[in-house]
Amino acid sequence: MKTAFLLATALALAPMATWAADDHAPLRFVLIPKTVHPWFDKVNTGAQAAADLLGKTTGRKVEIEYRAPETADVSSQNDIIERAIATHPDGLILDLLDEKGNHATMLEAVDEKVPMTVFDSLPPEGMDVTAVGADFCEQGTIAAQRLAGLIGEKGEVAIMIGVPTAPNHARRAECERATFARYPQIRVVATGIDNDSIETAQKQASAIMQAHPDLAGWVACDAAGPVGIGQAIRESGRTGKVKEVGLDNLNDMIQLIRDGVADSSASSRPEMQGYWAVIAAWQRALGQKTPKYIDTGIDVLTKKNI
Amino acid sequence: MSLETTFPTTPPTPPRLPPLRRLAARCMRNPLGGVIAALVLIFGVSCLLSPHFLTGFNMMIMARALAFIGLVTIGQSILMILGELDLSVGAIGGLAGITGGMLMVQAGLNPWLSLVLCLLLGTACGMLNGVLITQLRLHSLVLTIGMAGVYGGAILVATKGVAITGVPVDISFLGRGLVYGVPVPFIVLLACLGVVAFVMVRTPVGRYVYAIGSNPDAARMLGLRVDAIRIAAFATAGFLSALAGILMVARLGTAQPSIGDTWVLAPIAAAVIGGVATTGGLGSPVGAVLGAVIIGMIENIIVLFGISPYWQSVVSGGIVVLAISFDSLARRYLHREA
Repeated sequence: MKTAFLLATALALAPMATWAADDHAPLRFVLIPKTVHPWFDKVNTGAQAAADLLGKTTGRKVEIEYRAPETADVSSQNDIIERAIATHPDGLILDLLDEKGNHATMLEAVDEKVPMTVFDSLPPEGMDVTAVGADFCEQGTIAAQRLAGLIGEKGEVAIMIGVPTAPNHARRAECERATFARYPQIRVVATGIDNDSIETAQKQASAIMQAHPDLAGWVACDAAGPVGIGQAIRESGRTGKVKEVGLDNLNDMIQLIRDGVADSSASSRPEMQGYWAVIAAWQRALGQKTPKYIDTGIDVLTKKNI
Repeated sequence: MSLETTFPTTPPTPPRLPPLRRLAARCMRNPLGGVIAALVLIFGVSCLLSPHFLTGFNMMIMARALAFIGLVTIGQSILMILGELDLSVGAIGGLAGITGGMLMVQAGLNPWLSLVLCLLLGTACGMLNGVLITQLRLHSLVLTIGMAGVYGGAILVATKGVAITGVPVDISFLGRGLVYGVPVPFIVLLACLGVVAFVMVRTPVGRYVYAIGSNPDAARMLGLRVDAIRIAAFATAGFLSALAGILMVARLGTAQPSIGDTWVLAPIAAAVIGGVATTGGLGSPVGAVLGAVIIGMIENIIVLFGISPYWQSVVSGGIVVLAISFDSLARRYLHREA
């Protein structure tokens, strides 16, 4: 009986522990990407760097909790966002899978007075949230233009689409197609779907190159795709004959550029996105107004500058 | 002098167990005792270790998240008691959700009529699975892997991978609404669970399901309409998956092609945790839903406790194994004590 009473008392008092928080307690931000992926690890690295810097310069510790959904599924991401809201952090830093699908959950954050910052995606219309990121269309366009130049503005090209349901992948593919359409002698002969998996991209790219022996070049729409494409080019012994312009800056991608398999990569700056997302979230937590959009830009990585 | 031997008129009383062990023994005699004990243990530990766990908001989001997976779990548990499995339940839920979105947004159909049509579609998909399995004498596991590809592929064909937005707000109450602080999807789950539990326990159909799951040949020799009951069970699982799919559309406000992607393995794990035998004939949908509560609670505390995402699978898988082991060990211990 005594044990049961003590247990019941402990359970009743447990939520009150949150009242102990004070102004000198560490600032806690929860970073929720689209899914577990090396690209988001780089975002997290940038976020941690910003947290360290803020902690050292202000004297108030800043903590980043990284919570990645195991699969890129909107409902799973919403569940994680809701659970994070339940812990009442000082801010949420989100990479939205679908701003419309995430909208209702974001409204719950507003109701619970948890400030939000998004990166690598755009917030739902009408929501006062800072977005940090690069222009997906610009990134796809840069990759396609560079490939067009490499192949002398003529020949057969292929596009590797990442996850068909991911809006940023779809946007890059759309802009790559639009760019190629501006060159009358370039023909998009195939599109593969890699679902953001290097292995799938490698299989798809190998099959497409078998079916199109005259293929002159590749572009991709996600970070895993160009790595798989590079592996397929190397395995087929067509390094240098089939040109590749990749996306982003995964270590495997950089190695492919070093090895001369891929020419270059149009890379968003994940570390910078994480860094500036934390800065914006920190400003929000202190009650400051923040910009609507922070453009972190796009790098073109080549053998010369990596 | 005569020697008289007296015999006791009542059997000897067994030694009295200590109160805590007596309570544990009573729990374990209940088929749901193990899962309830594991649930209480995880709940208590979570309350003590996280100040955010026992809050109204957290309880609300846990109940709502449970509703979707719980509905699919009910259907899967009926099939498992029957000795079957359906790996296409997630794809059926996704297809029903997408169809609902297309009917409401692209065809401009009345949202409530669309909802009914989606439920009919889900029921038809489940029934089709059942008919193919019973008439072609196929193993349900193999057939439903194939059908998951068919239904999932149909989603991609219909949507090209792009979500359908602009779902009418008329049905958003079904996914986002609260009745006295209780999420509407959770109320739907309780209603469905109540109906299914009643059918399984109080009606001949429920007893037939257990009989077929225990020994289908014997059930057939007894004159039970085994195939008809199996088809009905698959149709029920399809209906419940479609209901989960359409509720998810109402919750998100968009019809996402990825709806149902995570509804395949979790309901099976939940049913096993809840005491449903993979060989059929044992367990109950109530136990299966309690298993889903355990999984949902684990997923919740993983975030509340700040466990690294790279350790999430290890931790959740480990706790599930512990929960099953706890049930098994407790039963063995009490059996030995008796």
